[in-house]
Amino acid sequence: MYKNLESYLEEISHFLSDPGEREEILSEIRSHIMEKIEHEGGPVTEGALEKVIATYGRPRQVAEKYLDGRPIIAPAFTRHLFRYASLLFAVHLVFIVFAVIFKKSFIVFPFLFVPRLGVIGAVLYMPMAFLADFGAVAMMLYFITRSGKEIKLPWPKFALDLDEVKATDAKTAAAQVATMVGAGIMLALTGLAVTLYIKYQTIFFISTNFSKFRPLFMPAPGRTLSLIVIIMLAAGTLGLLVKLFTRSRRIACWVDAGADAVALVLMGVVLRQPYANLLAVRIPPALHSWLHITLTVTLLFVALMIAVDLVANVVRLGRKRLGK
Amino acid sequence: MDNELGSIETEMKRGFLQLLVLVVLEKDAYGYAMVRAFRDLGYEVEENTLYPLLRRLEKRGLVQGKWELSEERPRKFYAVTPAGRDMRAGLLEIWKKQDEIIKYVIKENKHV
Repeated sequence: MYKNLESYLEEISHFLSDPGEREEILSEIRSHIMEKIEHEGGPVTEGALEKVIATYGRPRQVAEKYLDGRPIIAPAFTRHLFRYASLLFAVHLVFIVFAVIFKKSFIVFPFLFVPRLGVIGAVLYMPMAFLADFGAVAMMLYFITRSGKEIKLPWPKFALDLDEVKATDAKTAAAQVATMVGAGIMLALTGLAVTLYIKYQTIFFISTNFSKFRPLFMPAPGRTLSLIVIIMLAAGTLGLLVKLFTRSRRIACWVDAGADAVALVLMGVVLRQPYANLLAVRIPPALHSWLHITLTVTLLFVALMIAVDLVANVVRLGRKRLGK
Repeated sequence: MDNELGSIETEMKRGFLQLLVLVVLEKDAYGYAMVRAFRDLGYEVEENTLYPLLRRLEKRGLVQGKWELSEERPRKFYAVTPAGRDMRAGLLEIWKKQDEIIKYVIKENKHV
C-alpha cells in the first residue's frame, strides 16, 4: 500500500460516476503505474511513484478519458436549455406577480410553488425561481440525453436573439432622430413632473386651472404615486439617453432590462396601494367597484407586459453571452 | 499553426490508434509493453490515452482483457477477440481505400 498512489487513485475515483466500473478502472490504473516503474528498472518506492504519477496526468484529466466523452446534456440541446428555462421563468414570473398582487401562494404541481410574497421578497425570490426553472429543464434534458432516443423537442419562438436584430435597422438615421425626439419629450415630461411635485407634492390633478388646485388623490397616496411616476419617467429618459450615445445593442438591452426591473417593482408598489381613501374626489358609489376593477386589471396587464419584456431582454442577454 | 496541426493530429490518431491496437494485439500484451512497442516504432502514445482506449475496446467486445494473478502482483493482459479481428479487417479496408484516394489526388494535383 503506497500512500501517494492510493491518494491519487482516490482523487480519480471522485470523477468516475459509474460505481460498477470504478473499482475495475482504479485497479487498471494501479497496475499500469506499477508496470511502468518495474519496466524502468527501479524499485517501487514512494519517490518513484511520485515521478510516474506526475507524468500520468491530473486526476480529473485521467478520469475524463475513461468517461467516454458522454455529456450530461447533449450539446445539441444547449439552446433548448436556455430557451425552455427562460419560457418557464416567464410563467413563473407571472405567478410571482400574482402572488404579490393577490397576496396568495400559488402551486402548479410539480413544477411551481410561489409563496405569498411582498415586493422586496418577490425581487429576492426571482433569482431562486430562475435557478429552479433552469434546474428543472436541465434535468429533463439530462434524462432525454441519457435515454439516447431520438426525441424531437418543439422550438418555441420567443424573443429575438440580439444577433438576429439587424444593426442597420436599429441604427438608421430615422431611428436615431426618433430616439432623440423621444429623449427630449421624456426629459421635458420628467422636468415638468418634478416641478409640479415640488410645488404641489403631487402630479395628479382634476383641473388644469392651478388657481383652483384640486388634487386627484389624497395627500399620502398622491405623494407615493407621484414619486413612482417620476422615477419611471426618469428611468425611461435615462434609458433613451444611454441608447442615444451608444451603438452597442448589448448595453441597450441591459438598459431596457434595468428599466423593466425598476418599473416592475414600482408597479408592485402601485398595486399594493389600498384603494380605500385613495381618491380625493367624489365618485358615485355605483362606480366605485367598477373603477377599482378597471384600474387593477389595467395595472395588472401593464405589469405583465413589463414582466414579459423583462424576461425577453434577459433571454436575449443570456443567449448572446452563451454564443460568445 | 502548430496548435492546429496538433489538434488535427489528435483526431487522426484516435482512429489510427484503434486500428494499431487491434493489429498489435494479435499477440497478447499488457498495457505498458504496448506503449514501449509503439515508442520503438516512433509512435508516441500517452498512457492515459491508450489505457482508456483498451477499456472501450474491451467493453465493445473487440479486445479481451485478462488479469494475470500468478505473478507478484496482478497484471492485465489484452488480446484481440474474433469480433476484433473482423473489425480490424474492415478498418484495414477503409484505411487502404483512404490511402489510395489521397495518393490518387496528390498524383492528379501534380499534373495540374
